[in-house]
Amino acid sequence: MTSEPTLDVLAHGLGGSTDLPIPYTYALLGAAWALTATFAVVALAWRKPRFDENRPGRPLPLWVTSAVDAPVTRWIVAIVALLLTAWIAMAAFFGPQNADNPLPGVFYVLIWVGLVAVSWAIGPVWRAISPARTLYRLLRLDRRGSRPPYPARLGYWPAAFGLFAFVWLELASPDPGSVGAIRTWLLVYLVVTFAGAVWFGQRWFARADPFEVYGVVASRLSALRRNRDTGRIVIGNPFDHLPTLPVRPGTVAVLSVLLGSTAFDSFSAMPVWRNFVDDAAGSAVTATLLKTAGLAVFALVVAGTFTAAARATGGVDRQRRRELPGLLAHSLIPIVIGYVFAHYLSYLIERGQQTVILLADPLQRGWNLFGLGDTEVSYLLSMHPSVLATLKVAFVVAGHMAGVVAAHDRALKLLPSAHQITGQLAMMLVMVGYTFTGLYLLFGG
Amino acid sequence: MVTAAALLVAACGGSQQEGGDTSAASPSASASTISPSDMTDQQQPPNRLTIDVTIQGGNVTPTNAALQGKVGEPIVLRVNSDVADELHVHSVPDHTFPVEAKPNQQFQFTVEVPGNVEIELHDMNRVVASVQVRQ
Repeated sequence: MTSEPTLDVLAHGLGGSTDLPIPYTYALLGAAWALTATFAVVALAWRKPRFDENRPGRPLPLWVTSAVDAPVTRWIVAIVALLLTAWIAMAAFFGPQNADNPLPGVFYVLIWVGLVAVSWAIGPVWRAISPARTLYRLLRLDRRGSRPPYPARLGYWPAAFGLFAFVWLELASPDPGSVGAIRTWLLVYLVVTFAGAVWFGQRWFARADPFEVYGVVASRLSALRRNRDTGRIVIGNPFDHLPTLPVRPGTVAVLSVLLGSTAFDSFSAMPVWRNFVDDAAGSAVTATLLKTAGLAVFALVVAGTFTAAARATGGVDRQRRRELPGLLAHSLIPIVIGYVFAHYLSYLIERGQQTVILLADPLQRGWNLFGLGDTEVSYLLSMHPSVLATLKVAFVVAGHMAGVVAAHDRALKLLPSAHQITGQLAMMLVMVGYTFTGLYLLFGG
Repeated sequence: MVTAAALLVAACGGSQQEGGDTSAASPSASASTISPSDMTDQQQPPNRLTIDVTIQGGNVTPTNAALQGKVGEPIVLRVNSDVADELHVHSVPDHTFPVEAKPNQQFQFTVEVPGNVEIELHDMNRVVASVQVRQ
Protein backbone atom coordinates (compact mmCIF):
# COMPACT_ATOMS: atom_id res chain seq x y z
CA MET A 1 0.00 0.00 0.00
CA THR A 2 1.21 3.46 -0.76
CA SER A 3 0.86 6.24 1.72
CA GLU A 4 -1.97 7.72 -0.31
CA PRO A 5 -5.22 7.78 1.60
CA THR A 6 -7.45 4.98 0.43
CA LEU A 7 -10.66 5.88 2.17
CA ASP A 8 -13.60 6.85 0.07
CA VAL A 9 -16.27 9.44 -0.26
CA LEU A 10 -18.81 7.16 1.33
CA ALA A 11 -20.27 6.58 4.71
CA HIS A 12 -19.07 9.81 6.25
CA GLY A 13 -15.50 9.03 5.49
CA LEU A 14 -15.63 5.77 7.38
CA GLY A 15 -15.57 2.30 5.92
CA GLY A 16 -18.24 -0.31 6.48
CA SER A 17 -21.87 -0.47 5.51
CA THR A 18 -24.57 2.07 6.19
CA ASP A 19 -27.93 1.39 7.79
CA LEU A 20 -30.60 -0.39 5.83
CA PRO A 21 -33.56 1.82 4.97
CA ILE A 22 -36.45 1.54 7.39
CA PRO A 23 -39.38 -0.56 6.11
CA TYR A 24 -42.25 1.28 4.49
CA THR A 25 -44.77 0.32 7.17
CA TYR A 26 -42.50 1.74 9.88
CA ALA A 27 -42.27 5.04 8.07
CA LEU A 28 -46.04 5.15 7.62
CA LEU A 29 -46.73 4.30 11.25
CA GLY A 30 -44.26 6.93 12.41
CA ALA A 31 -45.82 9.53 10.15
CA ALA A 32 -49.31 8.68 11.40
CA TRP A 33 -48.21 9.02 15.01
CA ALA A 34 -46.48 12.33 14.35
CA LEU A 35 -49.53 13.75 12.62
CA THR A 36 -51.95 12.56 15.28
CA ALA A 37 -49.80 13.90 18.09
CA THR A 38 -49.51 17.26 16.39
CA PHE A 39 -53.24 17.70 15.99
CA ALA A 40 -53.84 16.48 19.51
CA VAL A 41 -51.46 19.11 20.84
CA VAL A 42 -52.91 21.95 18.78
CA ALA A 43 -56.55 21.09 19.37
CA LEU A 44 -56.70 19.55 22.81
CA ALA A 45 -53.65 20.47 24.86
CA TRP A 46 -53.29 23.00 27.64
CA ARG A 47 -54.15 26.67 27.10
CA LYS A 48 -51.87 28.20 29.72
CA PRO A 49 -48.09 27.99 29.41
CA ARG A 50 -46.74 25.18 31.55
CA PHE A 51 -43.01 25.35 31.12
CA ASP A 52 -40.92 27.98 32.77
CA GLU A 53 -37.18 28.39 32.44
CA ASN A 54 -37.07 30.05 35.85
CA ARG A 55 -38.44 27.05 37.69
CA PRO A 56 -35.81 26.06 40.25
CA GLY A 57 -35.83 22.30 39.67
CA ARG A 58 -35.06 19.61 42.23
CA PRO A 59 -31.58 20.26 43.63
CA LEU A 60 -29.08 17.42 43.70
CA PRO A 61 -27.03 17.01 46.91
CA LEU A 62 -24.64 19.89 47.41
CA TRP A 63 -21.55 17.71 47.10
CA VAL A 64 -22.42 16.99 43.45
CA THR A 65 -22.14 20.66 42.55
CA SER A 66 -19.03 21.08 44.70
CA ALA A 67 -17.36 18.08 43.11
CA VAL A 68 -18.23 19.16 39.58
CA ASP A 69 -17.10 22.72 40.14
CA ALA A 70 -13.97 21.95 42.13
CA PRO A 71 -10.88 23.33 40.37
CA VAL A 72 -9.12 20.01 40.86
CA THR A 73 -11.91 18.17 38.98
CA ARG A 74 -11.81 20.73 36.21
CA TRP A 75 -8.05 20.50 35.86
CA ILE A 76 -8.02 16.71 35.88
CA VAL A 77 -10.71 16.53 33.20
CA ALA A 78 -9.03 19.21 31.11
CA ILE A 79 -5.57 17.66 31.32
CA VAL A 80 -6.85 14.17 30.55
CA ALA A 81 -8.65 15.60 27.52
CA LEU A 82 -5.50 17.42 26.46
CA LEU A 83 -3.45 14.22 26.73
CA LEU A 84 -6.08 12.39 24.71
CA THR A 85 -5.85 15.14 22.10
CA ALA A 86 -2.10 14.66 21.95
CA TRP A 87 -2.63 10.92 21.56
CA ILE A 88 -5.04 11.48 18.68
CA ALA A 89 -2.70 14.02 17.12
CA MET A 90 0.07 11.44 17.24
CA ALA A 91 -2.17 9.02 15.36
CA ALA A 92 -3.13 11.74 12.91
CA PHE A 93 0.43 12.66 12.06
CA PHE A 94 2.35 9.43 12.48
CA GLY A 95 -0.30 6.71 12.27
CA PRO A 96 -1.23 4.82 9.11
CA GLN A 97 -2.78 7.16 6.58
CA ASN A 98 -5.62 4.80 5.70
CA ALA A 99 -8.73 3.19 7.13
CA ASP A 100 -6.78 1.93 10.14
CA ASN A 101 -6.26 5.45 11.40
CA PRO A 102 -8.55 6.29 14.31
CA LEU A 103 -8.80 9.98 13.33
CA PRO A 104 -11.88 9.78 11.05
CA GLY A 105 -13.73 7.80 13.70
CA VAL A 106 -12.74 10.24 16.45
CA PHE A 107 -13.79 13.16 14.28
CA TYR A 108 -17.01 11.96 12.71
CA VAL A 109 -18.27 9.66 15.43
CA LEU A 110 -16.85 10.37 18.88
CA ILE A 111 -16.84 14.16 18.57
CA TRP A 112 -19.72 14.80 16.22
CA VAL A 113 -22.24 12.28 17.57
CA GLY A 114 -20.74 11.33 20.92
CA LEU A 115 -20.65 14.96 22.01
CA VAL A 116 -24.40 15.25 21.41
CA ALA A 117 -25.13 12.13 23.43
CA VAL A 118 -22.93 13.21 26.34
CA SER A 119 -24.16 16.80 26.32
CA TRP A 120 -27.73 15.58 26.31
CA ALA A 121 -27.02 13.22 29.20
CA ILE A 122 -24.98 15.40 31.53
CA GLY A 123 -24.63 18.88 30.10
CA PRO A 124 -22.32 20.99 27.95
CA VAL A 125 -19.03 19.16 28.48
CA TRP A 126 -17.07 20.61 25.58
CA ARG A 127 -16.33 23.67 27.65
CA ALA A 128 -14.58 21.44 30.18
CA ILE A 129 -12.62 19.32 27.71
CA SER A 130 -11.92 21.71 24.85
CA PRO A 131 -8.18 21.57 24.17
CA ALA A 132 -8.17 25.19 23.02
CA ARG A 133 -9.71 26.30 26.31
CA THR A 134 -7.24 24.23 28.30
CA LEU A 135 -4.31 25.75 26.43
CA TYR A 136 -5.76 29.17 27.04
CA ARG A 137 -5.95 28.48 30.76
CA LEU A 138 -2.53 26.86 30.93
CA LEU A 139 -0.95 29.87 29.27
CA ARG A 140 -2.92 32.13 31.63
CA LEU A 141 -4.05 34.28 28.76
CA ASP A 142 -7.11 35.48 30.66
CA ARG A 143 -4.80 37.75 32.65
CA ARG A 144 -4.30 39.99 29.69
CA GLY A 145 -5.91 43.33 30.31
CA SER A 146 -7.78 45.30 27.72
CA ARG A 147 -9.52 43.35 24.99
CA PRO A 148 -11.97 44.43 22.35
CA PRO A 149 -15.48 43.30 23.33
CA TYR A 150 -16.94 40.44 21.32
CA PRO A 151 -19.30 42.09 18.80
CA ALA A 152 -22.82 41.25 19.98
CA ARG A 153 -24.27 41.17 16.50
CA LEU A 154 -21.93 38.34 15.53
CA GLY A 155 -23.79 36.16 18.02
CA TYR A 156 -23.48 32.50 17.11
CA TRP A 157 -22.69 33.18 13.47
CA PRO A 158 -19.03 32.09 13.74
CA ALA A 159 -20.19 28.79 15.24
CA ALA A 160 -22.80 28.38 12.51
CA PHE A 161 -20.03 28.80 9.93
CA GLY A 162 -17.85 26.35 11.81
CA LEU A 163 -20.64 23.80 11.87
CA PHE A 164 -21.21 24.31 8.18
CA ALA A 165 -17.49 23.81 7.60
CA PHE A 166 -17.74 20.53 9.49
CA VAL A 167 -20.71 19.16 7.56
CA TRP A 168 -19.13 20.42 4.35
CA LEU A 169 -16.07 18.29 5.00
CA GLU A 170 -18.25 15.32 5.87
CA LEU A 171 -20.84 15.53 3.11
CA ALA A 172 -19.58 17.71 0.27
CA SER A 173 -15.79 17.69 0.16
CA PRO A 174 -14.04 15.42 -2.37
CA ASP A 175 -12.52 13.01 0.13
CA PRO A 176 -14.05 13.22 3.61
CA GLY A 177 -12.22 10.14 4.83
CA SER A 178 -8.77 11.43 4.06
CA VAL A 179 -6.73 11.67 7.23
CA GLY A 180 -4.89 14.64 5.75
CA ALA A 181 -8.08 16.57 5.09
CA ILE A 182 -9.41 15.99 8.60
CA ARG A 183 -6.04 16.94 10.08
CA THR A 184 -6.04 20.20 8.13
CA TRP A 185 -9.61 20.94 9.17
CA LEU A 186 -8.77 20.37 12.82
CA LEU A 187 -5.62 22.50 12.65
CA VAL A 188 -7.56 25.37 11.13
CA TYR A 189 -10.24 24.89 13.77
CA LEU A 190 -7.67 25.02 16.57
CA VAL A 191 -5.95 28.08 15.16
CA VAL A 192 -9.20 29.98 14.60
CA THR A 193 -10.60 29.04 18.00
CA PHE A 194 -7.42 29.88 19.84
CA ALA A 195 -6.55 33.06 17.96
CA GLY A 196 -10.09 34.38 18.36
CA ALA A 197 -9.89 33.79 22.08
CA VAL A 198 -6.53 35.53 22.31
CA TRP A 199 -8.16 38.50 20.62
CA PHE A 200 -11.63 38.56 22.17
CA GLY A 201 -11.16 36.55 25.37
CA GLN A 202 -13.11 33.52 26.56
CA ARG A 203 -16.38 34.68 25.07
CA TRP A 204 -15.01 33.68 21.68
CA PHE A 205 -15.02 30.02 22.80
CA ALA A 206 -18.64 30.27 23.87
CA ARG A 207 -19.82 31.90 20.65
CA ALA A 208 -17.53 30.65 17.92
CA ASP A 209 -16.40 27.14 18.79
CA PRO A 210 -18.77 24.96 16.73
CA PHE A 211 -18.45 21.98 19.06
CA GLU A 212 -19.09 24.05 22.16
CA VAL A 213 -22.18 25.63 20.66
CA TYR A 214 -23.43 22.27 19.39
CA GLY A 215 -22.94 20.86 22.88
CA VAL A 216 -24.81 23.76 24.46
CA VAL A 217 -27.69 23.24 22.04
CA ALA A 218 -27.89 19.51 22.84
CA SER A 219 -27.55 20.09 26.58
CA ARG A 220 -30.76 22.13 26.63
CA LEU A 221 -32.72 18.90 26.32
CA SER A 222 -31.01 17.47 29.38
CA ALA A 223 -32.81 16.79 32.63
CA LEU A 224 -29.76 18.10 34.46
CA ARG A 225 -29.22 21.82 34.58
CA ARG A 226 -28.12 24.59 36.89
CA ASN A 227 -30.32 26.73 39.04
CA ARG A 228 -30.07 30.12 37.41
CA ASP A 229 -29.71 31.97 40.70
CA THR A 230 -27.56 29.70 42.81
CA GLY A 231 -25.63 27.82 40.11
CA ARG A 232 -26.44 24.59 41.90
CA ILE A 233 -26.94 21.48 39.76
CA VAL A 234 -30.59 20.45 39.72
CA ILE A 235 -32.67 17.85 37.99
CA GLY A 236 -35.94 18.82 36.37
CA ASN A 237 -38.22 18.76 33.39
CA PRO A 238 -36.22 19.13 30.15
CA PHE A 239 -39.07 21.26 28.79
CA ASP A 240 -38.23 23.86 31.43
CA HIS A 241 -34.63 23.66 30.32
CA LEU A 242 -35.21 24.05 26.56
CA PRO A 243 -36.18 27.74 26.60
CA THR A 244 -32.88 28.63 28.26
CA LEU A 245 -31.21 28.30 24.85
CA PRO A 246 -29.56 31.70 24.38
CA VAL A 247 -31.28 33.67 21.65
CA ARG A 248 -28.61 35.49 19.71
CA PRO A 249 -27.98 36.33 16.10
CA GLY A 250 -27.25 33.02 14.42
CA THR A 251 -29.17 30.74 16.80
CA VAL A 252 -31.62 29.74 14.08
CA ALA A 253 -28.71 29.34 11.65
CA VAL A 254 -26.97 26.87 13.98
CA LEU A 255 -30.07 24.71 14.26
CA SER A 256 -30.77 24.94 10.54
CA VAL A 257 -27.28 23.75 9.64
CA LEU A 258 -27.63 20.82 12.04
CA LEU A 259 -31.05 19.72 10.81
CA GLY A 260 -30.47 20.50 7.15
CA SER A 261 -27.15 18.67 7.00
CA THR A 262 -28.54 15.54 8.63
CA ALA A 263 -31.32 15.48 6.05
CA PHE A 264 -28.84 16.11 3.24
CA ASP A 265 -26.79 13.19 4.50
CA SER A 266 -29.68 10.80 3.75
CA PHE A 267 -30.65 12.61 0.60
CA SER A 268 -27.17 12.49 -0.89
CA ALA A 269 -27.16 8.68 -0.65
CA MET A 270 -30.24 8.41 -2.88
CA PRO A 271 -29.54 7.13 -6.42
CA VAL A 272 -31.46 10.07 -7.91
CA TRP A 273 -29.07 12.58 -6.43
CA ARG A 274 -25.98 10.50 -7.12
CA ASN A 275 -26.91 9.99 -10.74
CA PHE A 276 -27.56 13.68 -11.06
CA VAL A 277 -24.15 14.57 -9.61
CA ASP A 278 -22.43 11.91 -11.74
CA ASP A 279 -24.09 13.16 -14.92
CA ALA A 280 -23.87 16.86 -14.29
CA ALA A 281 -20.39 17.06 -12.84
CA GLY A 282 -17.51 16.62 -15.24
CA SER A 283 -14.82 16.83 -12.58
CA ALA A 284 -14.32 16.40 -8.88
CA VAL A 285 -14.43 20.17 -8.45
CA THR A 286 -17.86 20.55 -10.03
CA ALA A 287 -19.11 17.56 -8.04
CA THR A 288 -17.94 19.25 -4.85
CA LEU A 289 -19.58 22.51 -5.87
CA LEU A 290 -22.86 20.73 -6.60
CA LYS A 291 -22.79 18.97 -3.25
CA THR A 292 -21.92 22.19 -1.48
CA ALA A 293 -24.88 23.86 -3.14
CA GLY A 294 -27.13 20.96 -2.17
CA LEU A 295 -25.98 21.12 1.43
CA ALA A 296 -26.50 24.88 1.56
CA VAL A 297 -29.96 24.56 0.01
CA PHE A 298 -31.00 22.05 2.68
CA ALA A 299 -29.83 24.33 5.50
CA LEU A 300 -31.43 27.36 3.86
CA VAL A 301 -34.74 25.56 3.36
CA VAL A 302 -34.84 24.68 7.06
CA ALA A 303 -33.93 28.24 8.04
CA GLY A 304 -36.43 29.75 5.62
CA THR A 305 -39.37 27.53 6.47
CA PHE A 306 -38.76 27.79 10.19
CA THR A 307 -38.40 31.56 10.15
CA ALA A 308 -41.46 32.03 7.98
CA ALA A 309 -43.54 29.67 10.11
CA ALA A 310 -42.48 31.34 13.35
CA ARG A 311 -43.46 34.73 11.97
CA ALA A 312 -46.76 33.60 10.51
CA THR A 313 -49.11 34.87 13.14
CA GLY A 314 -51.46 37.79 13.57
CA GLY A 315 -51.66 40.31 16.36
CA VAL A 316 -47.99 41.10 16.91
CA ASP A 317 -46.05 44.18 15.95
CA ARG A 318 -43.15 44.18 13.54
CA GLN A 319 -40.49 44.11 16.24
CA ARG A 320 -42.06 41.09 17.94
CA ARG A 321 -42.48 39.29 14.65
CA ARG A 322 -38.79 39.65 13.97
CA GLU A 323 -37.95 38.20 17.38
CA LEU A 324 -40.27 35.20 17.12
CA PRO A 325 -37.95 32.78 15.19
CA GLY A 326 -35.24 33.17 17.82
CA LEU A 327 -37.68 32.84 20.70
CA LEU A 328 -39.05 29.61 19.22
CA ALA A 329 -35.71 28.20 18.06
CA HIS A 330 -35.36 25.96 21.10
CA SER A 331 -38.33 23.89 19.90
CA LEU A 332 -36.13 22.65 17.06
CA ILE A 333 -33.64 21.11 19.49
CA PRO A 334 -35.60 17.89 20.15
CA ILE A 335 -36.23 17.50 16.42
CA VAL A 336 -32.52 17.91 15.69
CA ILE A 337 -31.48 15.47 18.41
CA GLY A 338 -34.13 12.90 17.51
CA TYR A 339 -33.05 13.09 13.92
CA VAL A 340 -29.34 12.91 14.72
CA PHE A 341 -29.85 9.78 16.78
CA ALA A 342 -32.09 8.22 14.17
CA HIS A 343 -29.30 8.67 11.66
CA TYR A 344 -26.20 8.05 13.67
CA LEU A 345 -27.15 5.71 16.53
CA SER A 346 -25.60 2.66 14.90
CA TYR A 347 -22.61 4.78 13.94
CA LEU A 348 -22.13 5.98 17.47
CA ILE A 349 -22.36 2.52 18.96
CA GLU A 350 -20.62 0.40 16.35
CA ARG A 351 -18.11 2.79 14.79
CA GLY A 352 -17.55 4.21 18.24
CA GLN A 353 -16.36 0.81 19.45
CA GLN A 354 -14.22 0.40 16.35
CA THR A 355 -12.63 3.81 16.92
CA VAL A 356 -11.82 3.09 20.53
CA ILE A 357 -10.21 -0.19 19.50
CA LEU A 358 -8.14 1.62 16.85
CA LEU A 359 -7.10 4.19 19.44
CA ALA A 360 -5.52 1.44 21.52
CA ASP A 361 -2.91 1.01 18.77
CA PRO A 362 -2.74 4.36 17.00
CA LEU A 363 0.50 3.73 15.12
CA GLN A 364 -0.26 0.11 14.20
CA ARG A 365 2.72 -1.18 16.08
CA GLY A 366 0.94 -3.88 17.99
CA TRP A 367 0.34 -1.77 21.08
CA ASN A 368 -2.54 -3.03 23.09
CA LEU A 369 -3.63 -0.34 25.50
CA PHE A 370 -5.90 -1.59 28.29
CA GLY A 371 -6.30 -4.85 26.35
CA LEU A 372 -8.62 -3.04 23.95
CA GLY A 373 -6.90 -4.57 20.95
CA ASP A 374 -8.29 -7.99 21.85
CA THR A 375 -11.90 -6.86 21.90
CA GLU A 376 -14.16 -7.05 18.91
CA VAL A 377 -16.88 -4.73 17.75
CA SER A 378 -20.34 -5.94 18.68
CA TYR A 379 -22.75 -5.39 15.81
CA LEU A 380 -25.77 -6.05 17.97
CA LEU A 381 -27.82 -3.19 16.52
CA SER A 382 -27.06 -3.93 12.89
CA MET A 383 -27.74 -7.61 13.44
CA HIS A 384 -31.28 -6.72 14.47
CA PRO A 385 -32.44 -4.39 11.69
CA SER A 386 -36.05 -4.32 12.88
CA VAL A 387 -35.00 -3.19 16.36
CA LEU A 388 -32.80 -0.53 14.79
CA ALA A 389 -35.59 0.62 12.48
CA THR A 390 -38.00 0.80 15.42
CA LEU A 391 -35.51 2.88 17.39
CA LYS A 392 -34.99 5.22 14.45
CA VAL A 393 -38.69 5.85 13.98
CA ALA A 394 -39.13 6.22 17.73
CA PHE A 395 -36.37 8.85 17.89
CA VAL A 396 -37.80 10.84 15.00
CA VAL A 397 -41.37 10.71 16.32
CA ALA A 398 -40.38 11.42 19.92
CA GLY A 399 -38.25 14.36 18.79
CA HIS A 400 -41.13 15.64 16.72
CA MET A 401 -43.61 15.35 19.58
CA ALA A 402 -41.28 17.11 21.98
CA GLY A 403 -40.66 19.85 19.44
CA VAL A 404 -44.38 20.36 18.90
CA VAL A 405 -45.05 20.42 22.64
CA ALA A 406 -42.27 22.96 23.23
CA ALA A 407 -43.41 25.16 20.35
CA HIS A 408 -47.05 25.01 21.47
CA ASP A 409 -46.18 25.97 25.01
CA ARG A 410 -44.00 28.86 23.94
CA ALA A 411 -46.63 30.08 21.51
CA LEU A 412 -49.09 30.34 24.39
CA LYS A 413 -46.63 32.61 26.14
CA LEU A 414 -45.55 34.69 23.16
CA LEU A 415 -48.68 35.10 21.06
CA PRO A 416 -51.66 37.29 21.90
CA SER A 417 -54.57 35.18 23.11
CA ALA A 418 -56.71 35.72 20.03
CA HIS A 419 -54.01 34.24 17.80
CA GLN A 420 -52.67 31.41 19.91
CA ILE A 421 -54.16 28.58 17.85
CA THR A 422 -53.96 30.09 14.37
CA GLY A 423 -50.56 31.59 15.13
CA GLN A 424 -48.94 28.21 15.75
CA LEU A 425 -50.57 26.36 12.86
CA ALA A 426 -47.85 27.22 10.38
CA MET A 427 -45.16 26.07 12.80
CA MET A 428 -46.95 22.77 13.40
CA LEU A 429 -47.29 22.18 9.67
CA VAL A 430 -43.61 22.94 9.12
CA MET A 431 -42.62 20.52 11.88
CA VAL A 432 -44.84 17.84 10.37
CA GLY A 433 -43.09 18.60 7.09
CA TYR A 434 -39.65 18.10 8.67
CA THR A 435 -40.71 14.83 10.22
CA PHE A 436 -42.35 13.47 7.08
CA THR A 437 -39.27 14.41 5.08
CA GLY A 438 -37.06 12.80 7.71
CA LEU A 439 -39.03 9.55 7.67
CA TYR A 440 -39.15 9.57 3.88
CA LEU A 441 -35.38 9.92 3.74
CA LEU A 442 -34.86 7.18 6.33
CA PHE A 443 -37.15 4.99 4.23
CA GLY A 444 -34.87 5.71 1.32
CA GLY A 445 -37.32 7.43 -1.00
CA MET B 1 -42.63 -13.58 -44.18
CA VAL B 2 -43.18 -16.03 -41.39
CA THR B 3 -39.66 -17.29 -41.67
CA ALA B 4 -38.33 -13.79 -41.55
CA ALA B 5 -40.21 -13.11 -38.34
CA ALA B 6 -39.00 -16.35 -36.85
CA LEU B 7 -35.46 -15.49 -37.80
CA LEU B 8 -35.81 -12.07 -36.23
CA VAL B 9 -37.08 -13.56 -33.01
CA ALA B 10 -34.30 -16.06 -33.02
CA ALA B 11 -31.77 -13.36 -33.67
CA CYS B 12 -33.16 -11.31 -30.85
CA GLY B 13 -33.08 -14.22 -28.49
CA GLY B 14 -29.55 -14.99 -29.47
CA SER B 15 -27.98 -11.62 -29.24
CA GLN B 16 -29.79 -10.36 -26.15
CA GLN B 17 -29.90 -13.56 -24.29
CA GLU B 18 -28.93 -12.17 -20.97
CA GLY B 19 -31.07 -9.04 -20.92
CA GLY B 20 -34.11 -10.76 -22.39
CA ASP B 21 -34.05 -13.70 -20.03
CA THR B 22 -33.64 -11.76 -16.87
CA SER B 23 -36.22 -9.12 -17.59
CA ALA B 24 -38.70 -11.90 -18.22
CA ALA B 25 -37.78 -13.63 -15.00
CA SER B 26 -37.83 -10.59 -12.80
CA PRO B 27 -39.36 -7.24 -13.66
CA SER B 28 -37.34 -5.31 -11.10
CA ALA B 29 -34.92 -2.60 -12.09
CA SER B 30 -31.99 -4.61 -10.86
CA ALA B 31 -32.76 -7.52 -13.14
CA SER B 32 -30.05 -6.95 -15.67
CA THR B 33 -27.30 -7.56 -13.16
CA ILE B 34 -28.53 -10.97 -12.02
CA SER B 35 -27.25 -13.66 -14.26
CA PRO B 36 -29.78 -16.05 -15.73
CA SER B 37 -28.12 -19.08 -14.23
CA ASP B 38 -29.00 -17.86 -10.79
CA MET B 39 -32.63 -17.37 -11.66
CA THR B 40 -33.34 -20.68 -13.33
CA ASP B 41 -31.00 -23.31 -12.01
CA GLN B 42 -32.69 -24.77 -8.99
CA GLN B 43 -30.07 -27.46 -8.62
CA GLN B 44 -27.61 -24.87 -7.45
CA PRO B 45 -28.06 -24.67 -3.68
CA PRO B 46 -26.12 -21.52 -2.73
CA ASN B 47 -27.88 -18.44 -4.05
CA ARG B 48 -25.57 -15.79 -5.31
CA LEU B 49 -25.89 -12.25 -6.44
CA THR B 50 -23.84 -11.64 -9.55
CA ILE B 51 -23.04 -8.12 -10.64
CA ASP B 52 -21.60 -7.56 -14.10
CA VAL B 53 -19.43 -4.50 -14.15
CA THR B 54 -18.12 -3.01 -17.37
CA ILE B 55 -15.53 -0.28 -17.43
CA GLN B 56 -14.91 1.02 -20.91
CA GLY B 57 -13.61 4.31 -22.19
CA GLY B 58 -13.99 6.03 -18.85
CA ASN B 59 -17.56 4.85 -18.38
CA VAL B 60 -18.85 2.42 -15.81
CA THR B 61 -22.00 0.35 -16.07
CA PRO B 62 -23.92 0.03 -13.94
CA THR B 63 -23.69 3.04 -11.62
CA ASN B 64 -25.75 3.57 -8.48
CA ALA B 65 -27.64 0.33 -9.05
CA ALA B 66 -29.94 -0.63 -6.20
CA LEU B 67 -29.72 -4.37 -5.49
CA GLN B 68 -30.76 -6.84 -2.83
CA GLY B 69 -28.58 -9.44 -1.16
CA LYS B 70 -28.58 -11.76 1.81
CA VAL B 71 -26.26 -12.18 4.76
CA GLY B 72 -23.82 -15.03 4.22
CA GLU B 73 -24.64 -15.45 0.56
CA PRO B 74 -21.84 -14.87 -1.90
CA ILE B 75 -21.85 -11.72 -3.99
CA VAL B 76 -19.88 -12.08 -7.20
CA LEU B 77 -18.45 -9.19 -9.15
CA ARG B 78 -17.69 -10.01 -12.79
CA VAL B 79 -15.58 -7.25 -14.20
CA ASN B 80 -14.64 -6.37 -17.76
CA SER B 81 -12.32 -3.43 -17.72
CA ASP B 82 -10.01 -1.55 -20.02
CA VAL B 83 -8.27 0.23 -17.18
CA ALA B 84 -6.78 -0.64 -13.82
CA ASP B 85 -8.74 0.50 -10.79
CA GLU B 86 -9.73 -0.69 -7.36
CA LEU B 87 -13.10 -1.94 -6.19
CA HIS B 88 -13.96 -1.06 -2.63
CA VAL B 89 -16.74 -2.92 -0.90
CA HIS B 90 -18.01 -0.99 2.10
CA SER B 91 -19.32 -3.79 4.23
CA VAL B 92 -18.54 -5.47 7.51
CA PRO B 93 -15.84 -6.63 7.00
CA ASP B 94 -14.55 -4.31 4.25
CA HIS B 95 -13.14 -5.72 1.02
CA THR B 96 -10.79 -4.27 -1.57
CA PHE B 97 -10.23 -5.87 -4.98
CA PRO B 98 -7.63 -4.80 -7.54
CA VAL B 99 -9.13 -4.43 -11.00
CA GLU B 100 -6.84 -4.97 -13.96
CA ALA B 101 -7.26 -3.85 -17.53
CA LYS B 102 -8.63 -7.13 -18.83
CA PRO B 103 -11.93 -8.91 -19.36
CA ASN B 104 -13.53 -11.64 -17.25
CA GLN B 105 -12.19 -10.89 -13.82
CA GLN B 106 -14.20 -12.29 -10.98
CA PHE B 107 -14.25 -11.31 -7.32
CA GLN B 108 -16.38 -12.85 -4.64
CA PHE B 109 -17.22 -11.86 -1.10
CA THR B 110 -19.84 -12.38 1.54
CA VAL B 111 -21.30 -9.90 3.97
CA GLU B 112 -21.73 -10.93 7.58
CA VAL B 113 -23.59 -7.98 9.08
CA PRO B 114 -26.85 -6.68 7.56
CA GLY B 115 -26.62 -3.22 6.07
CA ASN B 116 -26.48 -1.14 2.94
CA VAL B 117 -23.27 -2.16 1.22
CA GLU B 118 -21.79 0.21 -1.32
CA ILE B 119 -19.51 -1.08 -4.04
CA GLU B 120 -17.31 1.68 -5.32
CA LEU B 121 -14.76 2.07 -8.06
CA HIS B 122 -12.12 3.99 -6.24
CA ASP B 123 -10.09 5.79 -8.89
CA MET B 124 -13.08 6.58 -11.08
CA ASN B 125 -14.93 7.74 -8.00
CA ARG B 126 -18.17 6.03 -8.99
CA VAL B 127 -20.59 3.96 -6.94
CA VAL B 128 -21.29 0.82 -8.93
CA ALA B 129 -24.09 -0.48 -6.77
CA SER B 130 -25.65 -0.32 -3.32
CA VAL B 131 -26.65 -3.75 -2.12
CA GLN B 132 -29.18 -3.94 0.67
CA VAL B 133 -27.98 -7.00 2.51
CA ARG B 134 -30.64 -8.46 4.78
CA GLN B 135 -30.91 -11.52 6.93
